[in-house]
Amino acid sequence: MAKEFLGEFEEIILTLVAGLQEDAYGAAIAEEIETRLKREVNLSAVHVTLYRLEDKGLIKSKFGGGTNERGGRKKRIFTITNSGLAMLKAMKEARVDLWKLVPQLQIA
Amino acid sequence: MMKANPPRGALRMLSWFCPGHLYEEIEGDLIQQFSRDLKRFTKGRSRRRFYWNMIRFFRPGILLRNKPTTRLTSLDMFTNYLKVAFRVMLRNKGYSFINLFSLALGITAFAFLFLWIQNEFTYDQFHADKDRIYKAWNRVEANGKINCWDVTARVLAPTLNEEYSGVESAVSYTAWGEQHLFVRGDKRLIKTSGAYADSTFLTMFSFPLIKGDARTVFQNPQSIVITESFARELFGDEEAFGENVYIGEGGDGLSLTVTGVLKDLPHNTDFHFEYMIPYSLVEKFNGKEVYWGNNSVYTFVKLKEGVDIGSFNEQVKNIVKTHTKDNDEHEVFLYPLTKMRLYSKFENGVPSGGRIEIIRLMGILGVCLLVIACINFINLSTARAQRRSKEVAVRKVTGAFRNSLVGQFLCESILLAFGAGMLSLIAVYLGLPFFSRLINENLTLQFSNLNFWIGGISLILIVGILAGSYPALYLSAFKPVKILKGMAISTSGKSLIRSVLVVIQFGVAISLIVSVFVVQRQINYVQNRDTGYDKKNLVYQYFTGTLRKNYESYKNELLQLGAAESITKTSTPITNRWSNTDGIEWEGKDPNDKTLFERIYEDNHFATTAGLTVIRGRDMDLEKFPTDSTAAVLNEAAVKAMGFADPIGQIIKDNGIEWHVIGVVKDFILTSPFNKVEPVILFGCKQSWPFAVAHIKLSSSKSTQESIAIMADLAKKYNPDYPFEYEFVDVAYARKFANLEATRMITILASFLTILIAGLGLLGLSTYLVEVRVKEIGIRKVMGGSVLSITNMLTWASIRPILFAVLIFGPQAWFAMNWWLSSYPYRISIGIFTIPLAALTIIFLAVLITTTQTIRAAKANPVNSLRSE
Repeated sequence: MAKEFLGEFEEIILTLVAGLQEDAYGAAIAEEIETRLKREVNLSAVHVTLYRLEDKGLIKSKFGGGTNERGGRKKRIFTITNSGLAMLKAMKEARVDLWKLVPQLQIA
Repeated sequence: MMKANPPRGALRMLSWFCPGHLYEEIEGDLIQQFSRDLKRFTKGRSRRRFYWNMIRFFRPGILLRNKPTTRLTSLDMFTNYLKVAFRVMLRNKGYSFINLFSLALGITAFAFLFLWIQNEFTYDQFHADKDRIYKAWNRVEANGKINCWDVTARVLAPTLNEEYSGVESAVSYTAWGEQHLFVRGDKRLIKTSGAYADSTFLTMFSFPLIKGDARTVFQNPQSIVITESFARELFGDEEAFGENVYIGEGGDGLSLTVTGVLKDLPHNTDFHFEYMIPYSLVEKFNGKEVYWGNNSVYTFVKLKEGVDIGSFNEQVKNIVKTHTKDNDEHEVFLYPLTKMRLYSKFENGVPSGGRIEIIRLMGILGVCLLVIACINFINLSTARAQRRSKEVAVRKVTGAFRNSLVGQFLCESILLAFGAGMLSLIAVYLGLPFFSRLINENLTLQFSNLNFWIGGISLILIVGILAGSYPALYLSAFKPVKILKGMAISTSGKSLIRSVLVVIQFGVAISLIVSVFVVQRQINYVQNRDTGYDKKNLVYQYFTGTLRKNYESYKNELLQLGAAESITKTSTPITNRWSNTDGIEWEGKDPNDKTLFERIYEDNHFATTAGLTVIRGRDMDLEKFPTDSTAAVLNEAAVKAMGFADPIGQIIKDNGIEWHVIGVVKDFILTSPFNKVEPVILFGCKQSWPFAVAHIKLSSSKSTQESIAIMADLAKKYNPDYPFEYEFVDVAYARKFANLEATRMITILASFLTILIAGLGLLGLSTYLVEVRVKEIGIRKVMGGSVLSITNMLTWASIRPILFAVLIFGPQAWFAMNWWLSSYPYRISIGIFTIPLAALTIIFLAVLITTTQTIRAAKANPVNSLRSE
């Protein structure tokens, strides 16, 4: 079987799930993307991607508590699975490998 | 801090498409986003953003997660409904049985009647060009009334073919049951199932040929077309097509070639024949018949496409008048083949129903039976609603909507209807052969036909919804607060709707009982009608083969051997009409008088042989009075029609022959015992051609078997080629009642079913009423109420609607049965006692049913009902 690839947006979301840990749910991730990456992102796009990643087994989810801010509705907290972590690492290494091909001159 | 709520409409819209298991978190995220937006933007902009964010969720990635989950949840609920329905049914076995059984009975009865009606509507509808095929009728005005009949002149069909451009083809057709002997090798078969027709018959109608070409089968007059099963009977496994068959015997017969083998005719056609012989063969021997006055064949006409029947009828109207010199007033008109079976009754020249009236009645009957069964379900489930009220209340409290409760109860009734449907499918399957025989049709269940299943399932759904919708609406309307607080609903068990439904049930029941009584009495009345002749030991025998030739010796030997007391040859059995005419002439006849007289020819002593009572003059006696060969004997009706004060010695003229009247016999029934007696003239034996039947009065000194044995021996001697056949007149006479017998069986069955279903319902209701009032009964007894007074009170409550039913439906039943009777000229009058008698019967039954429950309740020890609260 060919190795599975992730799209750029999927990779960002997966990374954020790994990074935000107990605070990884739809709205929070969307906000992180907006504040850190300065990039407009739609809530529904985040949700759909999260579900897709869950289908692929890269993340898993459980219900978390609700807050006043969200009208008492429960959050769905996502956590990264081992295969998700492996995938993330593999991708990072691949990036680094590729990066090494770029002539160092230009940075200096 | 601004406090603003997210737009509710947006949330509701989200709920329409968002999968249930994702809904909460998505909603939460949207609200969270909204709260944060509020800090940055205005309220309006935040709301707009909320809507926009919500709408963005309307995308495949979300929508596609919907399907499997929603289906699962409703299926869960559905299985729960089924489970509860089963438990409820099992808990109340008695009531469930009543519901199930009465629904099954209703559906079964409806299915039978429906199959019958459906079958009736398929008669002769399978012909490819049925919309262009017509049957020709005659219309004539006589004695101030327009009469219509469908036998026409033989010459009509060829004339239509030749002179009318709108006609594609026209054929004469007869199947009068003439006897033919078929000889093939050693095999001899006597058949009366033949038909004569013109050559285009098989191209006009869609009776498919297995062998042969419909266009050319009758090119040669010496040909015959036979059906598949007749071919097998005559030829065995040999090929019939192209072979010769011999009809008749010795030198008299002739050889015909089988030019076509027909597929057996379907059962749903009014054409009945096993073999068909072309008219060209008849005409080869007898010459062409061109006489317009002899109406004895059916004429079928196929018009060319696009010919308007209205204008064609206008053209064809005077066809008889233009072809005859004498002033014949017959008018001809065409009537559609598709209406031949159900709509072929004419009253004063206008179509006025026909068989369709019976079919409609049967349809109404079927629907009535179904409705009665549904009423049982409605009454029992609403009466027992209190039992379910807690369940309804708890379901509502835990969040059930009214719709889902309606759905639940409909589910239950449809489930029950399905169970009943299964039972009735079995019942219909097992009972269909009996029912087919009863109505003399060939009905089948078409399991392989998709429509059968669609029809059956939709019938069950309709019954389920019909029976279940009112209880569902009634039960689902309960207010949970009231019920859970302990307030009971209608403990008295009284309800206007329920009473009205019971009135309807028993109204139908009383109508049917009245009809049973009336039909039964009418049958008895007609069966006991004096026939005017002595049926006992009277036998008739058709002249087959050489019996006609050897009649004199046969007769003499029978008399000699003491097997018979008296023998007369006639033109027709005394139970049949043979020929009639309005052309009899006598002295003083009004030229406009068109009274029909029935003709019977006899040789001698017919009054003695048949046991007719001679009231004036004498019987024919050729030995004493040789001039009796031109004698005539009238019946009373004929004397009255001719207006003779003294009929003896009068001369009457028929077909140019003068006959002198020698006697008068008492009226006797020639055709139908339901009709008035027709005027009959018994003519002497001047002509020899009409004679076809021997009437034999068997000897009373010998047993019937002995006499028949002697007849059989002699028949072998004098008529060796033909099998010995005879018929008792009383058997032939009894056949006249066959139709009425079917009516009687159907009314009896239907009223039995109605009473059974309604009675079951009443049993259920009264059981329940007693159950509900058990405490009241206990208190009444403690206070000194007697068993009798309590029984009275309880019974009266159940009986009252039935009394209403009697009052409302009794008079209607009376009118309906009067209408039914009016079709029989010889009939009973319903009388004043029929309705009260029927009413008493049904009230007696109802009292019987209810008292089984009420007496038990009234007798019960009040301690048992009062000790616990």
